[in-house]
Amino acid sequence: MSSRSISIAGSRTEVVLYAVAALAGFFIVWQLLVMYTAVGMVMPSPIEVVEAMVASCADPIGSKTLPMHILFSLRRVLIGYLLAVLIGIPVGILMGCFQVGEAIIKPVFEIFRPIPGLAWIPLAILWFGIGEESKYFIICVSAAVSIILNTYEGAKSVDPTLVGAARMLGANDFQVFVFVTIPSSVPHIFAGLQVGLSSSWMAVIAAEMIRSSEGTGWIITTGMDSGNTVQILIGMVSIGFIGLILASLLRGLEKKLCTWRIQGR
Amino acid sequence: MSRVDVVNLTKRFGDLLVLDNISFSVGNGEFLCIVGPTGCGKTTFLNSLAHLYDIDAGRITIDGEDVDLQKHSIAYIMQEYSAMSWLTVRENIEFGLKIRKVPKDVMKRNADEAIELVGLSKFADYYPNQLSASMLQRVAIGRAFAVKPDLLLMDEPYGQLDIDLRFQLEDELLKLWQHTHTTVIFITHNIEEAVYLSEKILVLTNKPTTVKAEYSNELPRPRDVTDPAFIDVRNKITDLIKWW
Repeated sequence: MSSRSISIAGSRTEVVLYAVAALAGFFIVWQLLVMYTAVGMVMPSPIEVVEAMVASCADPIGSKTLPMHILFSLRRVLIGYLLAVLIGIPVGILMGCFQVGEAIIKPVFEIFRPIPGLAWIPLAILWFGIGEESKYFIICVSAAVSIILNTYEGAKSVDPTLVGAARMLGANDFQVFVFVTIPSSVPHIFAGLQVGLSSSWMAVIAAEMIRSSEGTGWIITTGMDSGNTVQILIGMVSIGFIGLILASLLRGLEKKLCTWRIQGR
Repeated sequence: MSRVDVVNLTKRFGDLLVLDNISFSVGNGEFLCIVGPTGCGKTTFLNSLAHLYDIDAGRITIDGEDVDLQKHSIAYIMQEYSAMSWLTVRENIEFGLKIRKVPKDVMKRNADEAIELVGLSKFADYYPNQLSASMLQRVAIGRAFAVKPDLLLMDEPYGQLDIDLRFQLEDELLKLWQHTHTTVIFITHNIEEAVYLSEKILVLTNKPTTVKAEYSNELPRPRDVTDPAFIDVRNKITDLIKWW
């Protein structure tokens, strides 16, 4: 993906420059709109938001400071997401590699697949109460779908030529699985992990907006309740940045594990 | 280095009879080319031979024993590029050895030798997406020779290459073959290629495929495609292959 944007924009430094310029432009336009138009009546300026964010690192919003709120949300995401990974990858592989697995799991999965994670909120509350468990559950369900789907696609789309080549070299089923199916699915699995991560980050916000006493979602809802637009934007901006950081971390891991896809492009 | 016997090989896909009662033998260290009209089931034939397909009747034996991929060492070089894109050239060439759990030092030695033979020493740490088409095919050939196969099957391996690259790889293949004395079964639709490479040529008919003729190619090596004797053999094979 990065190679395509590089080829449009030129060198790597140029890409960075464009990104910085675009972000700066965005914030300048926002600032100007707030200062000189009616937008100022309903929106705080970016400078106000940044100032308030810095201040909230020391002065708590509600009972906790901003970093603590973020850590609470992150913990929920990581637990729910890890559960989704632990469930999603094996299920996807079962479906993609074994015809019996596909025949049994796929029909059930196809029914669950269109149900958004948020539709599980009522059941989650009934089953697990309004504590942390129901949040983990919602996050896990939201992330698992895309992880399962992509892992399945990856395991399914293994090039039969390669499987044939491995068999000819004497590979048994297990060796084909370990040396061909798994490595060739890795890029697909990563795509699923990436989508799953952003789904779970979205789900935590929704889960916290329903009931919690801390977290970035909670910042937004209480901001809404008190008509505090600065506070709402603090929540939103934090979500944006943390989401970006998480996605970049995962991309970094993918680059490490899939050097073969990056080299030579 | 093995003798291969195919006896009454028959393969159907549903009602479609593809291979009809095919019998032939390839001697120890012999280079056999199989030619036939397009769509005559050459690839099916090779896949059956390689046990990638179950056969419906007949027997395929190597040195008198039924083919068993876990025991016999068969290497297959296909038309499609079959290098594993997540492995470097060296890792690709070591792949078969790793599957066979060859000791590390032997693995390294065999791989070094194979990499050298296919001329990829400088590219041992490259990934397939950094290589050209002919280099990818060399990786497959290196991987095949690294396992020191009893039998090497090749299915139009050079079909997608330019003519000069093809000539070059054909010469390399002959060198490898002479060096290793591997038994080779090479499928092609290119009659010139078959005459250039083989010691024996098997001409197949249209579907249902049977053996139309077996031609013993005794042209001296190195062969010259412009030599009248060469052209004479080529014409003979062309006449045999004609189904119109």
